[in-house]
Amino acid sequence: MTGRIRSDFRIGYCRMEENMQARLTKLNENEILLYLGYRGQEIPVQLKEQIERCQEEVMAAAQPRLIWRRIPIDSPLFSALRLEGEDIQSLLLGCHEAVLMAVTLGQGIDRLLARNSVSNMADAVIMDACASTAIENVADHFEEDLRAEVEAEGLYLTDRFSPGYGDLPISTQKQLCAALDTERKIGLSLSASMLMIPGKSVTAILGISNTRKVLRKRGCESCSLFRNCMYRKEGRNCHER
Amino acid sequence: MRDRIILDGGMGTMLQAAGLGLGERPDLFGLKHPDVVERVQRSYVEAGSQVLYANTFGTNAHKLEGTGYTVEEVVSANVATARRAAGGKAKVALDVGPIGELLEPLGMLSFEKAYEIYAQVVRAGAACGVDLIIFETMTDLYEVRAAVLAAKENSDLPVWTTMSFEASGRTFTGTTVAAMALTLTGLGVDALGINCSLGPKELAPLVEELRRWTDLPVIVKPNAGMPDPATGEYSMGAEEFGRHMAEFPKLGASIFGGCCGTNPDFIRALANGSVQAVPEAEDVKERKLFRGVCSAGQVAQFGGVRVIGERINPTGKKRFQQALRDGDMNYIMERAIEQADAGADILDINVGLPGIREAEMMTRVVKAVQSVVTLPLQIDSSDPEAIEAGLRVCNGRAIVNSVNGEQEVLEKVLPIVKKYGAAVVGLTMDKGGIPETAEARIEIAERILAAAERYGIAREDVLIDALTLTISAQQSQAKETLKAVRYIHEKMGLHCVLGVSNISFGLPERIHITAGFLMQAMCCGLDFPIVNPNQKEIMDMVFSHRALFGEDMDCAAYIERFAGAVSEKTLPATASPAEMSIEKAVLKGLKQEVANLTEQYLETMSELDVINQKLIPALDIVGEKYEKQQIFLPQLINAANAACAGFDLIKTRIAGRGGENLSKGKIVMATVEGDIHDIGKNIVRVVLENYGYQVIDLGRDVPVNTVVETVLRERVFLVGLSALMTTTVSSMRKTIEALRKSGHPCKIFVGGAVLTESYAMEIGADYYAKDAKASADIAKEVLG
Repeated sequence: MTGRIRSDFRIGYCRMEENMQARLTKLNENEILLYLGYRGQEIPVQLKEQIERCQEEVMAAAQPRLIWRRIPIDSPLFSALRLEGEDIQSLLLGCHEAVLMAVTLGQGIDRLLARNSVSNMADAVIMDACASTAIENVADHFEEDLRAEVEAEGLYLTDRFSPGYGDLPISTQKQLCAALDTERKIGLSLSASMLMIPGKSVTAILGISNTRKVLRKRGCESCSLFRNCMYRKEGRNCHER
Repeated sequence: MRDRIILDGGMGTMLQAAGLGLGERPDLFGLKHPDVVERVQRSYVEAGSQVLYANTFGTNAHKLEGTGYTVEEVVSANVATARRAAGGKAKVALDVGPIGELLEPLGMLSFEKAYEIYAQVVRAGAACGVDLIIFETMTDLYEVRAAVLAAKENSDLPVWTTMSFEASGRTFTGTTVAAMALTLTGLGVDALGINCSLGPKELAPLVEELRRWTDLPVIVKPNAGMPDPATGEYSMGAEEFGRHMAEFPKLGASIFGGCCGTNPDFIRALANGSVQAVPEAEDVKERKLFRGVCSAGQVAQFGGVRVIGERINPTGKKRFQQALRDGDMNYIMERAIEQADAGADILDINVGLPGIREAEMMTRVVKAVQSVVTLPLQIDSSDPEAIEAGLRVCNGRAIVNSVNGEQEVLEKVLPIVKKYGAAVVGLTMDKGGIPETAEARIEIAERILAAAERYGIAREDVLIDALTLTISAQQSQAKETLKAVRYIHEKMGLHCVLGVSNISFGLPERIHITAGFLMQAMCCGLDFPIVNPNQKEIMDMVFSHRALFGEDMDCAAYIERFAGAVSEKTLPATASPAEMSIEKAVLKGLKQEVANLTEQYLETMSELDVINQKLIPALDIVGEKYEKQQIFLPQLINAANAACAGFDLIKTRIAGRGGENLSKGKIVMATVEGDIHDIGKNIVRVVLENYGYQVIDLGRDVPVNTVVETVLRERVFLVGLSALMTTTVSSMRKTIEALRKSGHPCKIFVGGAVLTESYAMEIGADYYAKDAKASADIAKEVLG
């Protein structure tokens, strides 16, 4: 009997398997410039070419990988995560399933950045911005694909919420990586100080509910740059540019 | 006939079905429920397993931290369980997996620390009498090297290793199948192969590739197909698994088992006939193995010309010597990248300099170089201690340069070469010096070869250097060298090495002689020229030779190199110095123009004046524009890079005459302990260096003590610390506290994404640097 239930589940999952590959598409150049602290200055032709070249190298070195699990919120696996903080509770309010996800661009990017930090720092900085844009791109695509699947089932998907957002501790990464077996499955490991290696990686939690929920406002608090944003430090935000 | 050996199958899923909680550690579960583990393992023995993996996969000091258990008790309990389950019908292996923290250079765990962690596990396993040691599911070749060395140096047990690959043929860390085979066969493991990663179908091409590079028994232990990405479940059945596995004996594998998703049924399918013994005819004896040297991700295959870059060597290079004395790894890493970009296949590493502890420096430089390039290395030293230090931390299979015909040298160095599985260069000279005739050199080559073979080094791994002498001093010798090369290549069938550039020493326009000699020597059989790959003419010769000798299929590489080439005469002239001001050249990030202008200024001005009156004012203008947001970050750094071209010229000139230090003061910079985000720190370093400060860059993840000790030893009065994460700002605070406690009156500036002015003050810093420009202003204020 259990076997049969499981295979019923599988119909939905199999469809997902076909679509849910890690996807990396053309980068948004405005986003790259944003990471570089761009404030509307004139961009000389050479710099434009430099950015394009760096972008190509990043795209060539990136090996996007994705691992995710869809689990019932009342399952022991979910409670074993012991998620702390109120924000994640409010995200998952009314949800019956949670999705754990991790994406990474792979170690090739780390090596590319290390090498360029020595041979050409300006390239390194631009590549770093391209790579940050790229990992967001991969995470966004997964979210889109998942949303389409979930909505096709007549269900609703929340935004994605990462360790370090709001009051969800960064240390949550440890539970997420363990639950997803990221080290073995996508080559993503954590240092003792909770740094993800490869550096360009994202872990997150999303919720699935039967009723439509108001998606959180896309604002500073739910942005992965919340603590690091140079615009925010100046008391501004990136939408004001 | 190679014996067929059947291993066991999946453990984790079996234990979960038997009550292992989610997130619970299997090895600790085994401590509490030995009966459950024994039952699972006995079912494997009953199914036909001849080797049981003890339930010790994740057991190591790093993973057990905070659990209250020691490695020794967890290992001995789980080995005892396996021994009971085996009941004398199967061997028991100590099963060892990855440590769980990534090694340097990308991760923070040092190679030496990884070795210690594995050594402890190995000793614990050996103490309770396991039959063999298996390292499995490894993805980082560096970690495997640490593990295998730990096993070999702390036990006499057989060592088997298996790594996990993606379908691309690489592991997550970029290790290739060929690199694994070369490196581990060299280190003397007893069997090697592939586990986990993929299903049996997908593994076939990888096993084929593996067999091209090794004659050791090959292990295949795949998953039960590919898992469902959403549920993590495997779908392949035992029978289908067995059917696919039947292909592997034909590919030459002889040790078989299952990994994730497999159970005793899968093992039964294997044992009951799906995999058979390997017939003799298909075995190794007649096969011609591929050979080569490698890094983790790149192989320089033997057969055809492989260029060895000679630029990491202080001999006759004042600027390089200065870098060694200052511990300036960035300078050395730049030399490595330059040669890689120019087309070198292998990099020679020589750090011998009076007053430098060679072994220690060798370790440091090898680690630094392999953190930025993926070329295989040649460890170049006459000091056995330095050779071993280099080989030990070299991630891959290296060449040792060199031994010679002296008995004493051979006896000291060849055992080290054998231990690390390296190839070796033999110089055709001995106590009597360099013989003048080709015949006498060949005789020494034969002596070296015989000695190497006595130590178990294969003749294919002995590279003979028939020695290049300078024609301006000994003109008749060039012909003797070529004659010896031809004989060694044709008659002895050995690979040939030559340091080529020496031929033209003392002559004008040396390049013609050097390139000409190179071409003739390659024609005689030189396949490992040691040259400066940055010289275009040299690499042109190599590309031409490869095309002429059919090494470059369809001349594809030659065409790629030259098809788009534009004759220099037709290139548009760069702006003449008269039209180009230094301010403009720096602002626009034009390196060549800055170098040209600097050279021009140096004709009439002192170095110091060029720095203070030309380069720094130009950088100031850039800084101002940055501050006013007229330009943004990439432009600021491009400008700093361009100015760097001017500073480099000046530094080289000063070093060349052994001259005074023009530094405006020393600054220690570090990304604090626990943090590896160093891009911000590196930006600041580049900018500060270009303002004329000497930056002692301690790198990333720098322990508190290292910062304090360096500041005291080098008498540094300005320290810059960087941290990107909220989690690592605490180590920034600790570093500041330790610096204060030392009583040294240095000023401290801090920067990093999570910091703000008030936060910086709160943790006790003197300055908050919001960006690179601000750092330069702080340096000016503190050091002048």
